[in-house]
Amino acid sequence: MVATETKVTEATPTSKAASKKLRDRNQILLARLGWRFTTPSLLVVGLVTIFPISFSVILSLSNVTLSGNGFSLGGFTFNNFSILIHSSEWRYALAFTIFYTIVSVLVEVILGTMIALLMERLSGGRGPMMALLLLPWSIITVISAELWQYIFQGSYGVMQQIFSAVGLGKPVFLGSPTPAIISMMIADIWKTTPFVAVIVLAGLVMLPGDVFEAAAVDGCSGWVMFWKITFPLLRPTIAIAVLFRILQAFGIFDLPFVLTGGGPGTSTTSLAILGYKAMFQNLQFGPGSAVAVSATGLVLIGCLSFLKVFKSQVNSGE
Amino acid sequence: MKIHSKSTVKRNPRKRAGKYAITIATSALVLSACGSSSTSSSSASTSASGTSGGITTINWWASPLGGAGDRQKLITAFEAANPNIKIKLISAPTNTDTNRAQLITQISGGATTPDVFMGDVIWPAQFGAHGLALPLSKYLPASYFAKFAPGLVSGASYKGQVYGSPLFSDQGFLYYRKDLLAKANLPVPTTWPQLESEAVTLVKDGLVQNGFVWEGNSYEGLTCNFMEYLASAGGTVVNSGYSASTINSAAGLKALTFMRSLITSGASPASVTTMQEPQAESTFVAGNSAFLRNWTYAWADSQNPATSKVVGKVGVAPLPTFPGQSGPGYSNIGGWNLYVNPHTKHLQADLTFLKWMSGTAAQTTLGNLSFIPTVESVRQAFASSTTAPPPLQIAAKTKLVPRPSGTPNYAAVSQAIYANVNAALSGSTSVASALSTASSQMNSALGGGL
Repeated sequence: MVATETKVTEATPTSKAASKKLRDRNQILLARLGWRFTTPSLLVVGLVTIFPISFSVILSLSNVTLSGNGFSLGGFTFNNFSILIHSSEWRYALAFTIFYTIVSVLVEVILGTMIALLMERLSGGRGPMMALLLLPWSIITVISAELWQYIFQGSYGVMQQIFSAVGLGKPVFLGSPTPAIISMMIADIWKTTPFVAVIVLAGLVMLPGDVFEAAAVDGCSGWVMFWKITFPLLRPTIAIAVLFRILQAFGIFDLPFVLTGGGPGTSTTSLAILGYKAMFQNLQFGPGSAVAVSATGLVLIGCLSFLKVFKSQVNSGE
Repeated sequence: MKIHSKSTVKRNPRKRAGKYAITIATSALVLSACGSSSTSSSSASTSASGTSGGITTINWWASPLGGAGDRQKLITAFEAANPNIKIKLISAPTNTDTNRAQLITQISGGATTPDVFMGDVIWPAQFGAHGLALPLSKYLPASYFAKFAPGLVSGASYKGQVYGSPLFSDQGFLYYRKDLLAKANLPVPTTWPQLESEAVTLVKDGLVQNGFVWEGNSYEGLTCNFMEYLASAGGTVVNSGYSASTINSAAGLKALTFMRSLITSGASPASVTTMQEPQAESTFVAGNSAFLRNWTYAWADSQNPATSKVVGKVGVAPLPTFPGQSGPGYSNIGGWNLYVNPHTKHLQADLTFLKWMSGTAAQTTLGNLSFIPTVESVRQAFASSTTAPPPLQIAAKTKLVPRPSGTPNYAAVSQAIYANVNAALSGSTSVASALSTASSQMNSALGGGL
């Protein structure tokens, strides 16, 4: 439709102002059409995100009892949060989730940026490379976690075979806390580094070429060029990648659920796993919602403060 | 030009509002359809039962039993005996926790289906306390419950009401390789230290890759395994009133120290701390282990030539005990009950189904599929039959220990047990500190904490 319309306007001999007016009007019409098409999905999104989030805030501040006829809320209380603060499991899950988020996001951003820089220099074959790179990211986590479980399996796993072939014994990766946490991070980094790489690559391609030409004329080395030009210009893009990753990593559920079940012990129990156990295994919907709300609140605070710091950095760089 | 005519339509505010209203209404319809899918399916089944000559259709939620078609076999026989009732099978998830989470969501949401659901023996307190299962003792006479093997009905009760009708029972067994023991000239172990030393010998002699495999992963199955060592050591996990943990005791120390020593001595591989039933069983049936602790079904699996390399080489025995205790050791009680959805619209048909499933025909069918029958008379018939599957013959000779599932907070209690036992097994914490952490977490769980 759009194509036909542009042809028509271009073919009609009118003044420039008139054609611009027409284009503006068409823009408005297209925007309206867009809104109309998206209204149903926006409504659904609103109902399946805003409603549950508000409801879990209400649950976390109530004396919740579950019965055959659903929830009954017995008055306002801070008791659920007091249970959290006094629970060593919650404190551990919080510390683990923060640690896991920081380390895996940091590694993903560094690796992803390096891959993006490399990809940008590829003259031919960038398309197929990109497709290949995106494979891990396109596999559903439940499936890739199962694959990693085969790799890290304690009696016939591939990784164990490799270790034993080079004379490092037969470690059981998912059997003790530190190797299990590292294994989980590797699985996550493998999966989401491509996501960061694609976002950063998109940013790289958009960078103005003349700045780099000028720097080259001035005799800048590649290293200096990266730190003085590329990186500062890329900051907003990297910020977006980091934000997306923090949001995802902080709510990690599927990977530990499949790979480790939160174990060994409780060493890979993230806040999301803890909340799931409290709600759907122990039927403690009050404390469970408090876990969920605590995670949401913390990630919100984390992201907002990150954005704030980042904004000032960008401004000072200008 | 087409565009222009369309745009005039778009710019008519009344019509635009109308179109928005339609989109909103459509999406609302879609949403409401999503929300009440369970209700609509149940109303469909109600209408089916109402119309076609008094035939009632009930939905049975059950995870797969043994082989494919086992559930259907029971359903076909039931429908032949009760032509007025049709059973619609809903295949439940095999993961027990996922299974429970889905049931809870449906029933607490008021869904009238499934009418009857197969649930774990550890659920009665939780489901009873939250009104997620019908108290069957209000609808069935005491004589109905008298026919079951001792302990099963009390295990299915909470606060004086029976919530589950025992369907089949399960328990831990010791599976061993007859050929390997004969080769090394070793007897079937009757004590835990004996099993440990035989396992070490078999591995050292190069007869087998692993000595003894069991379920040491951080999950419910580890609570079952731990209960067996603990009971044989003379310990308990909670007091009789479910008010305080008793796990941090001399017996607890003895049990957990021994379990850890299985790994450090080389009797069990280090990877046992990552094993659940399938991993332990597959190691054994692949011929890579001399001993296996597993449930009743492992017998049938070990004798299936399609998946097992040890057909005809496997023996079954009660679990060992600790020296100084009278043998055999304790086996943990597992198994499944039938529960009724409190919102069911077909209570009479549901009860008919329950009665039939606890009748001689169904219980014999289950026994032949190598499940332990729950009805005492059928169980005894299998125990005295020399052609019955070996676990069913041995079951009558074992001692049983239940898990502490009499509290609605059992799930959190069990998490405190298995997570800390697993941490001690992997060596990331000492046995003593694991028990003390488990004890304090259990006390908090019993009091309704996380």
